[in-house]
Amino acid sequence: MVSNDIIISLLIIGLGAVFMMLVAAFSKLSNLILSYITLLIISFAIYFQTSYLGELFALDIQAELFNHMLRFDSFASLFNIIFLVGAFLMIATARAFMHATKFFMAETFSLILFAIFSMMLLSMANELLTAFIALESASVAVYILVGINRYNVRASEALFKYLLLGSFSGAFFLLGIAFVYAQVGSTHLGAIHEYLSLHQDNELIIVGGILMMITVLFKISAVPFGAWTLDVYDGASLPITAFMAGTFKIAIFSVALRILLVDYQGLADFFRPLLIIAAVITIIGGSLLTLAQQNIKRMLAASSIVHSGYLLIALSATTAASTSAAPSIIFYLVAYFLSAIGAFGILSYISHWDTERTTYEDLKGFSHENPILAAMMSVFMLSFAGFPSTIGFLGKFYIFTSAIESGLMWLALLGVLAAFVSIYYYFKVIAMMYFYEQKQSYNLRFSFTPIVIAIVAIAVLWGGIGTGLVSFLPGANVIIETAQASISSLFL
Amino acid sequence: MENILSLLIFIPISSAILLFLLPLEVKYIRYASFIVTLFTTVLSLWMFHNFQVSANMQFIEEYAWIKEYGISYHVGIDGISLIIIMMTNLIMPLLYLSFWHLNRKGYWLNLLIVQGGLTGAALSLDLILFYLFWETMLLPIFFLIGLFGRENKNFMSMKFTLYTIFGSLLMLLAILYLGHAHHLQVGVWSFSITDLHLLSFDTQTSLLLFSAFIFAFSIKIPLFPFHTWLPQTYRAAPTGAIVIMSALMAKLGVYAIWRFVFTLFEELSFKSSYFFVLLGLFGMIYFGIAAIKQRELKKLFAYSSASHLSLVIMGIFAFNYYAHLGAFYMIASHALSSAALFMMLGMIYKRTQSLHISTLGGIVHQAPVFSVFFAFFALSIVGIPLTGGFVSELLLIVGAFKYNIILGFISATTLLIAILFVFNVMQKVLYGKIRLASFEDLRLYEFLSIIPLALLILAMGIFPSYFLQKLKPTAQQYIQKEVIHGQ
Repeated sequence: MVSNDIIISLLIIGLGAVFMMLVAAFSKLSNLILSYITLLIISFAIYFQTSYLGELFALDIQAELFNHMLRFDSFASLFNIIFLVGAFLMIATARAFMHATKFFMAETFSLILFAIFSMMLLSMANELLTAFIALESASVAVYILVGINRYNVRASEALFKYLLLGSFSGAFFLLGIAFVYAQVGSTHLGAIHEYLSLHQDNELIIVGGILMMITVLFKISAVPFGAWTLDVYDGASLPITAFMAGTFKIAIFSVALRILLVDYQGLADFFRPLLIIAAVITIIGGSLLTLAQQNIKRMLAASSIVHSGYLLIALSATTAASTSAAPSIIFYLVAYFLSAIGAFGILSYISHWDTERTTYEDLKGFSHENPILAAMMSVFMLSFAGFPSTIGFLGKFYIFTSAIESGLMWLALLGVLAAFVSIYYYFKVIAMMYFYEQKQSYNLRFSFTPIVIAIVAIAVLWGGIGTGLVSFLPGANVIIETAQASISSLFL
Repeated sequence: MENILSLLIFIPISSAILLFLLPLEVKYIRYASFIVTLFTTVLSLWMFHNFQVSANMQFIEEYAWIKEYGISYHVGIDGISLIIIMMTNLIMPLLYLSFWHLNRKGYWLNLLIVQGGLTGAALSLDLILFYLFWETMLLPIFFLIGLFGRENKNFMSMKFTLYTIFGSLLMLLAILYLGHAHHLQVGVWSFSITDLHLLSFDTQTSLLLFSAFIFAFSIKIPLFPFHTWLPQTYRAAPTGAIVIMSALMAKLGVYAIWRFVFTLFEELSFKSSYFFVLLGLFGMIYFGIAAIKQRELKKLFAYSSASHLSLVIMGIFAFNYYAHLGAFYMIASHALSSAALFMMLGMIYKRTQSLHISTLGGIVHQAPVFSVFFAFFALSIVGIPLTGGFVSELLLIVGAFKYNIILGFISATTLLIAILFVFNVMQKVLYGKIRLASFEDLRLYEFLSIIPLALLILAMGIFPSYFLQKLKPTAQQYIQKEVIHGQ
């Protein structure tokens, strides 16, 4: 049964963040122990969160106290689990990296928890201002995380680039809220929908919607708003890049989906062409950008733009009354995030002290010394490319079917062509690892990290071929069914 | 043994994964993979024995996989998939034997995976499942070429992969559209061909869908004009990959046209049959002439293989009993002959590090046993009497005459093109001046790897009725319809 104690995992993360900050200030515990404490905190939160998984529910948290600003439903619950698992896996896979670098300080863990806390709030926000505050506080935590490597000029450059552009684009969201408020007289999500169904005039709501869309497009690094992506992803240290590409992007989609589905369904005809244009230029621009990259980290950064493009295809399909589009977005986000965590995890595992080995040259002949790691990297690349028998394939399958379902056949064709181009740059990584002579010795020490990565790799494969035949594991169809349930909870 | 088909698919794949993870010496991996393929061969022989002579799907297994979208694990076997499965399972262990000397772990594992993928693709009756296996079997070929190929192997493995995936992705789009159309017309999603073939489309849509499927399969076969990857890939690829590609994968392309294109777009296939018969005939002549001009043996037999597959395409699009029977029989006999030939080319390459005609000559004086077998397989490709090739070509020519007298006449005469290059090769490589310092005759394992193929080719030539009876019901499938459509 769902009751008001449901925010317990939110509280655990929030208090945990404060606790970690105090620990950082007053104790001299090593990074290793701090990371264990953080993992423990997150596992508690996951434990409390998963007890609601699979249930269909929606209720306002402490309606009197918060004035209906926070809404906890299956949708938020699913997203919260994804954030928590994302943070857990990020910290777990980054262990070797933290051990090797000196800039991972105790505050890092506190910041990660703060970011997660804000993202959880973001997915629960039932009111635009709350969403804005949550979005900004998550962003602030991420800004600092990007620049956490004080010894690296590129990281500082990335921090300032991201900070300036991010705050600038955040202002659009605020302005959008102002416009919406001017017309509706409320910033509650349900209120806009109600207003649209009763009134004819909607100019200010449209303007507000476009302004908010700009912020969202900026944050998910759609072309042309995503010009920051390459440098920021490249400048940030690998685990942070994984966190941004995997987890933070999902948070943005959670709020975008909620606003779009709950509020702006009435204006779907207006927003569809805009989203389609965004999808088309994002996919084309992202693909061209990715082809030009000579560094795997930058390639993954650029290809995350293409993945945003696929998601925008599905987002435009949601406006065309496709019931399968919104769940397909959630599925795709899960698929992408698992692959991203794994791929970045391997890259950070093979970093040599504080030198990241991320060029194609660095990976040449990688398989000769580390066959199993290379196989796992190949699995992640195949999943990115949407190769069958990985979770990435089913992700693309759902997105393309939803596009076809809503009559956007040409968009599906464009997606397929982009997937074809992506085969080239992802297979190039595999080719580098297997088909070339070994250039350098890696001397990797065995640790906890590759085991976590292996679990992620198995999840990626199982997500693609899993059947209901194995009773104790959820099959591939469970994720999409959970996603569907969570979408329907939005309208309870 | 209800789930024998699943065993045939997943035993090789799971043993490959297991062997990859186990830290074994290459020697043991070789033994283990050989035993696995022998085991699947025994299973497939058992299945062949129990296969009922009828056109129905047999040994069917169906489990829901993703219920929401009506995707199921749906496999079954009929006459034509039986050929592919039997050929795969017979050729694989022999292929392992033929390069018993190799000590590269990846070679064996990739071959196991490709075997599972091929089997799965040939048995799938669900389009998404088929697509899964169809793509999965590409990956080991990518690795085989890139890891064990020669010259510009990295470039070629990438080119081959991109080329074929391009076709498959368009097919994927068509598959998704079919599922959506089923959703629209019937109300539920389904990707099973037994459901999808009931759908009806307007001419333009069905033409687009038809083209997407044909495009994907033509690249794999390859059909003119989608053959441009062929010569360079064959040149760069290692023997194992070539045997798979030419003897099995190409046939799987033909099979897929039969299974999916004919089932889903029956009317359009009848209507466009004239075009494809002509294309097949043209391809046979074009690739035949291209083969004559080649001086590199792998490329030469690559074109020869493409030439015969074009003939098979002509056969299946002629839509009559004899042509179909001949096409099926040629799939089997050509798989055996081309597998054996490419295996022997691998043996030549191992001994001489060259496959250029100008560097070879007079092998018959140095290695008589080798030469006898080489000549036998080369001639079996041309279709001399007493080989399976003869029976299939005879049936195909009868079918072609039945389709159209002029086309029949042309196909009967142009079949002789193959004789030109085969005799040329035999003259230059086996006879002629001795150019090699030494040429070792067949070793025991090499001998063992080709003798079953030779015997089987002979058996297919001498007792065709035993093999044909299993195929007859499947070949008769379109006879009734042929009358209706007035072909």
